[in-house]
Amino acid sequence: MIEVRELRKHFTQGRGAGARTVLAVDGVSFTAADGRITGLLGPNGAGKTTTLRIAAALIEPDAGSVRVDGIDVAARPTAALARMGVLSDARGLYPRLTARENIVYYGRLQGMTRPAAAARADALARMLDMRPLLDRRTDGFSQGERMKTALARALVHDPANIVLDEPTNGLDVLATRSLRDTLRRLRDEHGKCIVFSTHIMQEVERLCDHVVVVAHGRTVATGSVAELNAARGETDFEETFVGLAFSAEQGPQPGLPWSAA
Amino acid sequence: MMSAAWTVYLKELVDALRDRRTLLVVLLSSVAIGPAVLMLISQMVAGIEQRAEERVVVVHGIEHAPTLRNFLERQTYTVREAPACYEQQLKDSKLGDPVLVVPADFESELRRGKVPVVELLASATNQRSQTGSGAVLRLLRGFNQEQATLRLAVRGVSPAALEALRIEERDLADPASRAAQLSTMVPFFVLMAVLYGALNAALDTTAGERERGSLEPLLMNPSPRLALVLGKWGAVASVGILIAVLSCLSFLPGQWLLRSEALSAMFRFGIGEALWFIGLLLPLAGALAAVLMAVAIRCKSFKEAQANATIVVLAVSMMPLVTIFNQEGQAPWHLWVPALAQTTLMGRVLRGESLPWADVALTVAVSALLAATAIAFVARTLRTAALK
Repeated sequence: MIEVRELRKHFTQGRGAGARTVLAVDGVSFTAADGRITGLLGPNGAGKTTTLRIAAALIEPDAGSVRVDGIDVAARPTAALARMGVLSDARGLYPRLTARENIVYYGRLQGMTRPAAAARADALARMLDMRPLLDRRTDGFSQGERMKTALARALVHDPANIVLDEPTNGLDVLATRSLRDTLRRLRDEHGKCIVFSTHIMQEVERLCDHVVVVAHGRTVATGSVAELNAARGETDFEETFVGLAFSAEQGPQPGLPWSAA
Repeated sequence: MMSAAWTVYLKELVDALRDRRTLLVVLLSSVAIGPAVLMLISQMVAGIEQRAEERVVVVHGIEHAPTLRNFLERQTYTVREAPACYEQQLKDSKLGDPVLVVPADFESELRRGKVPVVELLASATNQRSQTGSGAVLRLLRGFNQEQATLRLAVRGVSPAALEALRIEERDLADPASRAAQLSTMVPFFVLMAVLYGALNAALDTTAGERERGSLEPLLMNPSPRLALVLGKWGAVASVGILIAVLSCLSFLPGQWLLRSEALSAMFRFGIGEALWFIGLLLPLAGALAAVLMAVAIRCKSFKEAQANATIVVLAVSMMPLVTIFNQEGQAPWHLWVPALAQTTLMGRVLRGESLPWADVALTVAVSALLAATAIAFVARTLRTAALK
């Protein structure tokens, strides 16, 4: 379970007199429960990536907290990271290593033994349907193949919580479908807590049990797709999303609790 | 912590050693070049030696000067007639010996007590003819001296009147320190080998990771940042040392190829010297690896890092020059400057001098301090670097 409470983070761009303060995250809160897929939906620049980076202990928040299975990320980052698998925006692989070596490397860094990491690489390759790729060097992989390898790398230690930052970026329709299937299986068969950010509402509609709409660095609405549609009086989720994300300049919408379970 | 560092170390080492193309270029540029230069020098010296052994003077118009010919032959020199177009050949460096031109009236002028003029032709752009003209000049001065002595003797004057003093040259350098003159190029080459060996790995593990976008996911592992940096640093330093070892060893068979016997006697670089070199370079490899990584971690791309690392490369390659240009010999501060200190100590090894442990310990300490500072900087910068 991942609990995000009232996150705030500003960045300073430039130096001296020309310095400008950008409020990237200004009150994001949500709860992602186990056995559910939580979608972080928001337009570009809404603060999704910054929120997920704070969750992955890459950035320290100005205020607020992230707890992973009850562990405070800011206070005990290594313990929290051991319980999380993060597929970040940057998913560079080592081109001179094979897919298997890339995966085992991360397994070792997660504290696994080499045989355990190797066995896990095989299991993940079966699950992600990438067994022919395992012993090829990742140089020359297609976008879909790269994403699969990066996902396997993030899941090597079998984390209870999985965080994905715009995982379908650059994937074709088949790769996107196969990723969706994988995420559903991780939810249904393994009971994982999955958080994934996106700006594409079709993905949210197809996949997410729970949606967190983020705009201007704030959580503006939470709930299932049906609940959000009903609250806005819309049947088309795109209309709901545009209405929520682009008209909401101030805080959450009335009648929508912060973290509707 | 240590197991994470070890994991990173092994991975980075494998990664660096798989970069075959880069390794090949490094091997060619820093391992093969030393022996190659050594062989070129040996070839040149062998040529000079050969000419010195031949004792040949190339003369145009020797038939006009039987007295001179007699003198030259008494000095066990062979007189050879110059080829027809000797001036052009000298200009084109086709003729390796200077040419002495004797005028037609040489003998009659000499007999009448006049001063005949001979010309010694050499070209400043023809290195070999330049080197040979010194010997011919000495011969001609000998001839002058002999003629003058004879004339004075005829007039009953003691030859000592002509000689205010006599000069005897004595070379104070013992064979070992003379050998060091030639061997001084070895420290420079192995120093550059460490640098070029470490350079690529240092950039790849820092700026390269940023450019690939693999640094951010790497930091999402529950490993201490210092462990990641230590592993990377160890791998970079190891590659640097590996290239340095290969470079040192390449000089061992390299010297068997020396064509000049005098030169191979002068070149003192055995397995003992090689081991000393490697020992002295170990701490430097650590320091250079850390400094290169610190420079590169601030750069967003490999290319940018390469441009920035040029400053380090330039600074290190300038260091051996200090020992050449410094007129006052070794100064105590030399041992405080990394790279310069190692060059100085390697020079001492080559001259067969003993190395005080205090000096070695000082260079190790300076390198260790530099490495620790740079590693701390990289570890501190790693997170900000991953995000931009």
